[in-house]
Amino acid sequence: MAAIASIATDTATHCPYCAFQCGLRVSGSDGVLAIAGDADFPVNRGALCIKGFTAADTLEHPERLRTPLVRSRAGELEPASWEEALDRIVAGIRAAQESHGADAVGVFGGGSLTNEKAYLLGKFARVALGTRHIDYNGRFCMSSAAGAAIRAFGVDRGLPFPVADIADADVILLVGSNPAETMPPLMQYFQAQRASGGSLIVADPRRTLTAKASTLHLRLTPGTDAALANGLLHLILEEGAVDADFLAERTEGFDELRGVIATYWPERTEKITGIPERELRRAALLLASARRPMVLTARGSEQQSQGVANTLAFINLALALGKQNQPFTGFGTITGQGNGQGGRELGQKADQLPGYRSITDPAARAHMASIWGIPAGAIPGPGVSAYELLDGMGEEGGVRAMLVIGSNPLVSAPRALHIEQRLRQLELLVVADFFLSETAALADVVLPAAQWSEEDGTMTNLEGRVIRRRRLADAPPDVRRDDEILHAIAERLGWGAQFSYASSSDVFDELRRATAGGVADYSGITYEKIDAQQGVFWPCPSDDHPGTPRIFAERFATANGRARFHPVQHQSPAEEVDVNYPLYLTTGRVLTQYQSGTQTRRVERLARVAPEPQAEIHPVAARHAGIADGALVRLVTRRGSATARARVTRDIREDTVFVPFHWGGAASINRLTNPALDPTSRMPEFKVCAVRLETRPELQGVISA
Amino acid sequence: MKELESIVVEGPMRQRLVVVGNGMVGARFVEELIARGAGDRYDIVMFGDEPHGNYNRIMLSGILAGSQSVEDTFINPLDWYARNDITLHAGVRVDSIDRDAKLVHGDGHVVEPYDVLVLATGSSPFVPPLKGLSSHGTEMKEGLFAFRTLDDCDRMISYASTARSAAVIGGGLLGLEAARGLLERGLDVHVVHLRSHLMEMQLDPPAGTMLKATLEEMGVTVHLDKMTSEVLGEHRVEGLGFADGSTLSCDMVVVSAGIRPNVSLAFDAGLMVERGIVVTDELRCPGDPSVFAIGECAQHRGQLYGLVAPLWEQAKALADRLSGRVPDAAYTGSRTSTKLKVMGVDLAVMGDQEPSGPDDEVVTYSEPTRGVYKKLIVRGGRLGGAILLGDAGAAPMLLQAFDRGSELPDNRAELLFQLSAAESATGVADLPSSAQICNCNGVSKGALVTAVEAGHCTLKSLCEATRAGLGCGACKSQVQQVLELAAGDQVREDPSVHFYVPGVPMSKAELVKTVRERGLRSVSAVFAQLSGGNEDPASKAGLASLLRTIWGADYDDERDARFINDRVHANVQKDGTFTVVPRIFGGVTTAAELRRIADVAEKYAVPMVKITGGQRIDLVGVRKDELPSMWKELGMPSGHAYTKSFRTCKTCIGSEYCRYGVGDSTTLGVQIERRYQGIETPAKLKLATAGCPRNCSEATTKDIGAVAIEGGKWEIYVGGAAGGHVRKGDILAVVDSHDAVLRYTGRFMQYYREHAKYLERTYDFVPRVGIEKLRSILVDDAEGICAALDEAIGAAVDAYVDPWQEAEEPVHPSQFADVLEPVGVVSGPAWERME
Repeated sequence: MAAIASIATDTATHCPYCAFQCGLRVSGSDGVLAIAGDADFPVNRGALCIKGFTAADTLEHPERLRTPLVRSRAGELEPASWEEALDRIVAGIRAAQESHGADAVGVFGGGSLTNEKAYLLGKFARVALGTRHIDYNGRFCMSSAAGAAIRAFGVDRGLPFPVADIADADVILLVGSNPAETMPPLMQYFQAQRASGGSLIVADPRRTLTAKASTLHLRLTPGTDAALANGLLHLILEEGAVDADFLAERTEGFDELRGVIATYWPERTEKITGIPERELRRAALLLASARRPMVLTARGSEQQSQGVANTLAFINLALALGKQNQPFTGFGTITGQGNGQGGRELGQKADQLPGYRSITDPAARAHMASIWGIPAGAIPGPGVSAYELLDGMGEEGGVRAMLVIGSNPLVSAPRALHIEQRLRQLELLVVADFFLSETAALADVVLPAAQWSEEDGTMTNLEGRVIRRRRLADAPPDVRRDDEILHAIAERLGWGAQFSYASSSDVFDELRRATAGGVADYSGITYEKIDAQQGVFWPCPSDDHPGTPRIFAERFATANGRARFHPVQHQSPAEEVDVNYPLYLTTGRVLTQYQSGTQTRRVERLARVAPEPQAEIHPVAARHAGIADGALVRLVTRRGSATARARVTRDIREDTVFVPFHWGGAASINRLTNPALDPTSRMPEFKVCAVRLETRPELQGVISA
Repeated sequence: MKELESIVVEGPMRQRLVVVGNGMVGARFVEELIARGAGDRYDIVMFGDEPHGNYNRIMLSGILAGSQSVEDTFINPLDWYARNDITLHAGVRVDSIDRDAKLVHGDGHVVEPYDVLVLATGSSPFVPPLKGLSSHGTEMKEGLFAFRTLDDCDRMISYASTARSAAVIGGGLLGLEAARGLLERGLDVHVVHLRSHLMEMQLDPPAGTMLKATLEEMGVTVHLDKMTSEVLGEHRVEGLGFADGSTLSCDMVVVSAGIRPNVSLAFDAGLMVERGIVVTDELRCPGDPSVFAIGECAQHRGQLYGLVAPLWEQAKALADRLSGRVPDAAYTGSRTSTKLKVMGVDLAVMGDQEPSGPDDEVVTYSEPTRGVYKKLIVRGGRLGGAILLGDAGAAPMLLQAFDRGSELPDNRAELLFQLSAAESATGVADLPSSAQICNCNGVSKGALVTAVEAGHCTLKSLCEATRAGLGCGACKSQVQQVLELAAGDQVREDPSVHFYVPGVPMSKAELVKTVRERGLRSVSAVFAQLSGGNEDPASKAGLASLLRTIWGADYDDERDARFINDRVHANVQKDGTFTVVPRIFGGVTTAAELRRIADVAEKYAVPMVKITGGQRIDLVGVRKDELPSMWKELGMPSGHAYTKSFRTCKTCIGSEYCRYGVGDSTTLGVQIERRYQGIETPAKLKLATAGCPRNCSEATTKDIGAVAIEGGKWEIYVGGAAGGHVRKGDILAVVDSHDAVLRYTGRFMQYYREHAKYLERTYDFVPRVGIEKLRSILVDDAEGICAALDEAIGAAVDAYVDPWQEAEEPVHPSQFADVLEPVGVVSGPAWERME
């Protein structure tokens, strides 16, 4: 049993799952952690979903990894000592780098790592390994939103305002987001908004639980988000409802947008999006009449090969509606992973240094070199994006050895069968995780890692609020924290001093200096300030600065302080439906599972609610394919096939199938998805590809994962 | 083919690309080309007949009807061309093409050489050879118009302003759009059509007939089977003459008898021309690898297109090819479908109008009264064509199914009406036991029923036992329904609804009694003794309020039990700033006081100075650290605009000056406010006094109000509200002096302080207790407690200290430090915006 005796009664910390980072009150007695929502934490205000309530169930789980595993000559993963495991890792790194150069080793990180670990991982890649190849699964999450926000606003902070502002916006357009399932405690703000007379418009191919709670549901065709945004703006212009004062004072480039918008007349928009014109008009009128309009996007519109363009189109809409000199308005994007925000600004991205600095900027390189104690020239250049990094594994010019921390790319990356083949080509695959994930099962070395309640650190939630995760207990005896693992490897590579810290606050202090003067400036944030203020919003550039809840209140973060319009055209998705693949496939999440399911599939109370993927299929599509409700169905795309259980429902478009992606093996929906990448963000097109449904007599019983 | 490749393959030399035509297709093609990065590859030159940039011709009818602005129709204004380094010859007509020398000759000796030439010359209105088209050598008689360009549109609008009636020749789409525009401009409109039904290109006879009826209802006169032979009028249009000898008089005529592709330039240049300029799948003119054609002028596989969607597909395919992005890009034809509006009536048309063979299945639905007509041609399980008139709900789905060639549902009815309709709501009684009620925590109906059977018969205990409703909370009403269903008459009211605060399991009476008996003077002492040491944050402020009421000056104040508003004695605003509202007794102030307020507002650059609904002056947007010095400089007491207490007493001008006043409400209001200022209460109290029943100060809808009536008497109202909730107060008593008003006001306040739940406003409290009971207790002294109430409120008045004194002596050093308070949350359940 973990030493939970060390838990103070009623400790405040945060949920290990999504970006809402609910405040938890954890107490321990008789070896059991009791979890309740923290009524004092101003984000969740006491609410919690079932994932949070059961967050402790992974700690003493029988499948938890408790010792390193090393693949034997016979090809089996066998328990080993840390010495053996580390020796094997270091030998593999050296061999790869000696024969193929420093860039032959890659690091794949995750959006669930604390800020401190995300920072250390970037430092580890650039300093200890000297490789340009580091990227992370956040590339599959927030990169399109980030790319768009940086272009339009000059900075990428998911929500530029506190989440509580949602309750006070009078009209909200929520695009490609289903918080009722993916982030339930967030719904209280939408409910408050609706209760006080506000209107919520939800755009989604599915009639989700969130759509059911809306004023108006726009059931758009997958992959037509930019056309929707442009079409709504066309009608808003027709209403004369753009905020001319705001455009003149705070923005630039609107006139260049007008011509594009002129070509999205309602009949055309209807034809592209499949949304009846009267619904488009109703949505436009609601937005046009709003006193405090808000536009929010999420993965639905972002995880596409046009993800950046789609997001820019919705930003255009929000900017044109204006009124953003006042609170409770504006554009935001709802971050997904626990530390999706912090994870992307502290140096895990292939092209970035901590503080959201460009790795090609000489000043940023010099600044980081001084902190890391190495010459600026020793910092490698930019690497390639997550999918490209995985796609290159074991190939000419790609990495030969890979270190994966806090991620399960075999389940979460697109075109999973191809990724599996690439993973098998590696000379060395090292995975640090709590459980033997699908990716870990292919590794040469598996390292047992500490869990959320066994480490201190900070996370940055969807609002850009930096909060504290607290260590409640020690990890099991032979389990180590990720920072200890990095230190041990670095030490063997001769960089021990650079990775030796007394505590997580030591790492945080270095991180603060590293981000000083950067876009995402953490330098004025301290653990004490976080405690005193229930979190601190970045940027916080000095000790006496209170943090910045509303970053665009006075100016945008562009050079001239103005937000920038970017005209975008609707472009078809990379793969359109045709006779052989007549339906759209779109993917997403369910309430009781999280991401690749490594944790949640092992929590019995969660798994029994959603033990296997359900494919939501419209009755018309089901009838054509001869599929009955509850039957097993095979889904086939140009990249592979997977099995799911049919749920025949009118809550989905007749031309679209939805399947959640939390499972591996035969149930892995990412075997089907299309790795067509956004030209800017390099986001794969998870949300739309062409699929065919098949039913076969041999499909019965349970799905073998 | 070889030559073609030499054109498009990248080389060191930039090539010259000349586009003839700057309409919706020519300009779109250039846009697509630039979007593909081909701006580096070509010097682009464009010719356009019209002196504008490129505009959206589809919106012309909206301009004619006055619903669209010209500004919003421009797709590429002139500066777009300059920005993209495109040479545009706007208003320059191309006269000839010299294919040998590869030169384009335009009006005014403009000559442009080309390596690649793209013809996008579009089409022109067809004007039938009528008598009297022109007069005095002009091309068109005055009052006679074609409807094609922005300039046509401009001229029609200006001519229509002086005309009373108009005839449109041609009952096709464009003709009807012109008719709509002119109808909107107040003209009598006639549509003259050669055929036996309207829009025969798109509609079958029944649909055309139904459309005619709809248009006639709107006031358009439709003449079918009518051949126009002559335009009447000497100098200007006066009417039309028809082949059957009849005539129609009108002030203007719009000819909309179809369009003809503009092919003469290509024909004269020796290119292959049939009905249009013939092109291959490469969109190339056969015989000349340097010349391409797209748009309405192009004839592809024998087909001419007039809708924008297929033409933009052509533009895209050619841009793919010429940019080198997809060197072998080809255009293989389009399935044409469109959704449009005719005279504001929704119409979607696609594919064939009539079945083409015996296997074609025809599905029709007709509802003449509403003008709804739907017809589908089903061919091989897929859509061969459709007409949807008057109800376009199913149009998006059918258009997509047609364009994609998707298989259709066997149940054809699903095609005629919108699919994916919402499933009807089911009551919980009908749900199976496995149905999930709480999605956040995965709680099924069965699990709830089991918990109820195990004895969880209150909503609260059921939620706590199952965790249903603890996530987003949306399912609570359904959980309640399950509870009622499962427990029947065993449903128990949750005892906690009677708790004064949630964290201490006692009613207010029990709590007051216990606190007094045990001498609990601090919030932490209450928690320690009455809730096992569990400090419930949500209960702190309520307890603090009660303890202050009970103990007065002997209350042991713990600052953390206060909300931010009560910690700094100001009302926090959503952006984290505060408001400062000084006390102005009864809303009566002086010039000197106003000047002081103005000075302070100016000195601290207060962003907003606002007169409040309670007759106070509100300084909005103050930083926390500025509060103490502002208070000092104001030299006025706190107006208590922030806390749960007596707030203000609003007054009217009263009897001293007002012609109608029967009582001195002003003096009374000042007296009330001076006596009871800052008295803490379970929820805020807003008072008013009115000098006559006209009630200018709205005293009947206040928590406590006094209204003067004839005979020097005052009516005392309690429990009124005029906020989110509106309630007229109940009359507690009618009295005959200011002193009596003051006495009853204080007595009611004290009773309310002792018996109301925390945050219970008087408009809930009064009806809950009942006005009869209140009268018997407070007026008739039925319980013999009036003297004690009067004494207690007197003690509270004596103990009152202006909290703004803390400006001189902060409670702790950082009381006013400018640390950010999380927005909109610190104030918890008691949060209220200042009103």
